Amino acid sequence: MLGFAKGMAYTFKQMTKKKVTHMYPDQEMVWPERFRGIQHFAPEKCIVCNQCARICPTGCINLIGKKSEDPNKKGKVIDTYDINFEICILCDLCTEVCPTEAIVMTTNFELAAYSRDELFKNLEWLDNNNTNVRGGNA
Amino acid sequence: MGAYIEQSLGLTNSLVFILSAAALLGIVLGFVTYSIYFQRKILGWMQLRIGPNRVGPLGLLQTVADVLKLLLKEDIIPKAADKPLFIIAPIIAFMPAFGVLAVMPFTESIHFADVGVGLLYYIALSGITVLGVVTGGWASNNKWALIGAMRSAAQMISYEIPLVMSVVGVILMTGSLNLIDIVEKQKEMGMWFFIPQFLGFIIFIIAQLAELSRTPFDLTEAESELISGYHVEYSGFRWAFFMLTEYVYIFAMASLTTVLFLGGWLPPFEFLGFIPGIIWFGLKFLAIVFFIFWLQATFPRMRVDQLMQMGWKVLLPLALLNILITAVLKTVL
Repeated sequence: MLGFAKGMAYTFKQMTKKKVTHMYPDQEMVWPERFRGIQHFAPEKCIVCNQCARICPTGCINLIGKKSEDPNKKGKVIDTYDINFEICILCDLCTEVCPTEAIVMTTNFELAAYSRDELFKNLEWLDNNNTNVRGGNA
Repeated sequence: MGAYIEQSLGLTNSLVFILSAAALLGIVLGFVTYSIYFQRKILGWMQLRIGPNRVGPLGLLQTVADVLKLLLKEDIIPKAADKPLFIIAPIIAFMPAFGVLAVMPFTESIHFADVGVGLLYYIALSGITVLGVVTGGWASNNKWALIGAMRSAAQMISYEIPLVMSVVGVILMTGSLNLIDIVEKQKEMGMWFFIPQFLGFIIFIIAQLAELSRTPFDLTEAESELISGYHVEYSGFRWAFFMLTEYVYIFAMASLTTVLFLGGWLPPFEFLGFIPGIIWFGLKFLAIVFFIFWLQATFPRMRVDQLMQMGWKVLLPLALLNILITAVLKTVL
């Protein structure tokens, strides 16, 4: 019998306590360091090693390199870099394997779109996606 | 109202009857709308959430939006269902829920029919609702609906008996089944019936929760076991009618508890008599409604076997004991 009263008192006291919910769309969420959102790509850092495309478990990264316009420079520079975000599983492998941190994760995640075409992210889009970039100290 | 009932039926008084019934229906619907809102709010607060807050200011229009959605939904009747019974079941369930309010005195002047056997009328009529529930469960032609309906029948029949037995103490002390007389008696005695009839009051509260199928006796719905019990196959406005029945019964049961045990429209102390009776009635009534939602946020659901044992082995003997004690005291004192 006392247990009932204790339970009732407990739930009654909860009413005035601070709420644990977050007014998400109205107030912005601050995500923890290891949150995985859509990638940011820095073309000037890329050395076209193709490791990200090879390691991607869903094969959603496609890239093409070309000869550098500067004849003194060795190696290739990036020409096109696309992520098919329809099938990207945000596994973080591409950013882990990248030797130059050319591809990094951001905490941007609001990606709902009306058309599937909009989920095809090209080099320009990924380069411009430079907000909330992860610091790399995760 | 009494004067109109005395007259033979004519154009004026039938118009008065229809309009006053419509007004009561409006009040009841308003109550149902905002009791659902406050139920969700209170449950939210007790679970450290905010509750509905998107539709309208503070979410006040949430229930309105929900009802509108239900009314706009396609009217689906399953192919294998028993069509006439399926259609009539929500009506059978709802009509007595509203019908019982006819004898409910809100104050000494605001009431509808002043029936001599008001309490008997209430209990007899409220027993019909279970027929609507069982009909709905049967007509759905679905095993979950049928299990829910059977549980509902077992539960309501088991708890109807302690419910009636627990109010016999009140009837013995008053010497009348008239609900207005019961309140007048409490005024005369100078204390509300929950003090001299404490055992009866506790039994009544428990049995009424079972009658209302509210937590911890919500076995008929049991979302986690039976999806939603007898109304699995219902949708749209027919489902809305079952929900409406449930909440109108909260209105009716909270009113009945107020009248029987909490002194109806009487003020708690004499010097507070300047505040009109309807406000006292409203306050007591809202306290009971809040109590029901509070229990819902606190207790888990009972098991079926525990439910039956509690009804037959605990509540019924206690209710009989209460009658005995009341009868002895009435004879001796």
